[in-house]
Amino acid sequence: MDRIPALHRRIKELEKAKLLPGIIESFTVVRHPPAGFGTEPYIVALIALHDGTKVMGQLTRDSSAPTIGATVTPHMRRIRTMSNGLLVNDLKYEVVTMKTMPIFTMTSYVLAVSGPSGVGKTTITRQLMTMFRSYAEQVPIVSTRAAKKNDTEPYVHVSKEEFDALVAKKEIISWTHMPSATELRYYGYRKRDIEAIWKKGKLPIVVTELNLLKGLVDSLGRRAVLSCGLLPPGKSKRLMLSVLLHRLRTRGRDTEEQIVERLKIAEADLKAFTDHAHLFDHMLVNDELGTCVETIRDLVKVGN
Amino acid sequence: MRETVYVLGGAQTKFGELWNKSLSDLIREAIDGAIATTGILPTDIDYVVIGNMVGGETAEQAHLGTLASSMLPHRPPSLRVEAACASGGLAVHTACAFLESGKAETVLVIGAEKLTDVAGDIVTSALMRAGDAEKDARAGLTFPSIFALTAAAYMHTYGLKREDLSLVSENSHKAAVKNPYAQFRKEIPAAAISKSPLIADPLRLLDCSPISDGAAALILSTKRESNVRIAASQLASESLSLTERASLTSFVSTRTAFVRALSESGWDKNSIDALELHDCFSIATLIHLEDLGYAEEGDAIRIFRQGDAGLDGALPINMSGGLKACGHPIGATGVKQVLDCFKQLSGTAHHQVSDVKRALAHNLGGVGATCTVHLLETIA
Repeated sequence: MDRIPALHRRIKELEKAKLLPGIIESFTVVRHPPAGFGTEPYIVALIALHDGTKVMGQLTRDSSAPTIGATVTPHMRRIRTMSNGLLVNDLKYEVVTMKTMPIFTMTSYVLAVSGPSGVGKTTITRQLMTMFRSYAEQVPIVSTRAAKKNDTEPYVHVSKEEFDALVAKKEIISWTHMPSATELRYYGYRKRDIEAIWKKGKLPIVVTELNLLKGLVDSLGRRAVLSCGLLPPGKSKRLMLSVLLHRLRTRGRDTEEQIVERLKIAEADLKAFTDHAHLFDHMLVNDELGTCVETIRDLVKVGN
Repeated sequence: MRETVYVLGGAQTKFGELWNKSLSDLIREAIDGAIATTGILPTDIDYVVIGNMVGGETAEQAHLGTLASSMLPHRPPSLRVEAACASGGLAVHTACAFLESGKAETVLVIGAEKLTDVAGDIVTSALMRAGDAEKDARAGLTFPSIFALTAAAYMHTYGLKREDLSLVSENSHKAAVKNPYAQFRKEIPAAAISKSPLIADPLRLLDCSPISDGAAALILSTKRESNVRIAASQLASESLSLTERASLTSFVSTRTAFVRALSESGWDKNSIDALELHDCFSIATLIHLEDLGYAEEGDAIRIFRQGDAGLDGALPINMSGGLKACGHPIGATGVKQVLDCFKQLSGTAHHQVSDVKRALAHNLGGVGATCTVHLLETIA
């Protein structure tokens, strides 16, 4: 039944609503929705908000799998369609971490730049750093990998034992493992590095990949990450990959085997942009370096 | 009870998808049956109370009190009561109040619902009116999914398995085979129940009571006597919204109503020989048994595992087939439960428990937001 004044009252209520995160107390998949809620199944959860009140809320469609005890955060989304065609928005909740509370609350945000190998992440970040020297800083990567002479990123090298200890202590808030035949490659970000940059009043920048980005989003909250995905120029995936291949070869840092390995990862990275579209705020095509850098600069200014 | 309220008898229509019968056809059939079996004159009826939930939405008919009264020659005073799925129990409770107060001496109690005239998503929305419209329904919740939330919480808290839930429905389906009024008269093994389609995880189709049409009627009296009386009639409430509950795995309304009913009757709960429980969903039966004190929290499934809920068990449950297998025409259910207790106590049940002296009818509205408990006994 369409009660327009009731909708009006709800909109007024939502204007004043505190957008609080909460914990799932129970959830179910509604496979036979009532009139107005479409025909596709969706998940509804009973959520205990952080102020002690409880709400019944739908989970967002891009949410990861819920569990009882998982943390959720609210977003405004379309919830139903009235019979006159009017689209009704209301709060839906996104699962942000599994059974864990946010590690720290958002005091600022992080600029994340991701993209396949060879797309120009490092070059763009270097440009951004030059441009933003006084108010941005790159977050160092903690790695179990041995130091190399031609490393371009700021690394903190640790042993595997030290790395595991940091993860256990929740000092490392986001980490990933890159399988490699030749070396032990675990990468992660430390909470204290990001906090230190925030304390200086600066913007932390991470040059990152999908798993690390997911980890950051899970621990910091989706809204604390301004996430930019970089695409190589090219109308098709095949053309994009040949651009990357060309760049990797001319860069001359890797052997031919390593390049093939990187290209395979790049292909997966490109797929991630569509499979995990919710993790990216902006997709940029790096065909002209200057334009791309300027676009990000403008985004950061708006974000600030 | 302030007065001795006798159950003179009653009747019910078959429950099911009754496309050839309208809401008023169903009501008329139940009234005719009740008058015929009790042998009273229609004009002996002082008052009519009818329980119904969604007649306005699914049958485009409100004002059901007078609709029913119009079917009697003398048009007695009448009213319709509503407490979602507990509308029937509430009708019996209201009739008891009239009888106890002396306002009436013989009351016709009816429960009726017509659901299958409209499409599934419309029924789903209409039934969701039993929940809190502003706090619960807004998220797109349905009644199966509300009980699914309690099931998921129960399974999480007590480690109950999906397969366990199926034992509850299996018991109801087995009992309904002998009930000629039942919607489903077929035994269904637990394994098949566990494989039925998902409705709202973890609940499957055969965990859920069906969408049914049907009506039931009873004649209660303080003036005329019979060998079955109502020993207690209680009504209790709990918060309407699930968001205002301390627990998802217990319904306070059941606990309150039952404690008051035991105190009103002076009975011990273990003296009750047969139960008609509101098994709208398999999980609900387990919660009720714990709230009624027949099992420890998280342990009710043991009653089904041990086979105690069957005809020859220690605690026969829903020998009519319950809501699950006999059917659940919302407003009719609570009246039909009391009718089934009457049949057990007067030795006329189709699935008769031997040596029954005391029976309980437990009717629930919403997700435990309203509960009525009626205790009935035979008088020597």
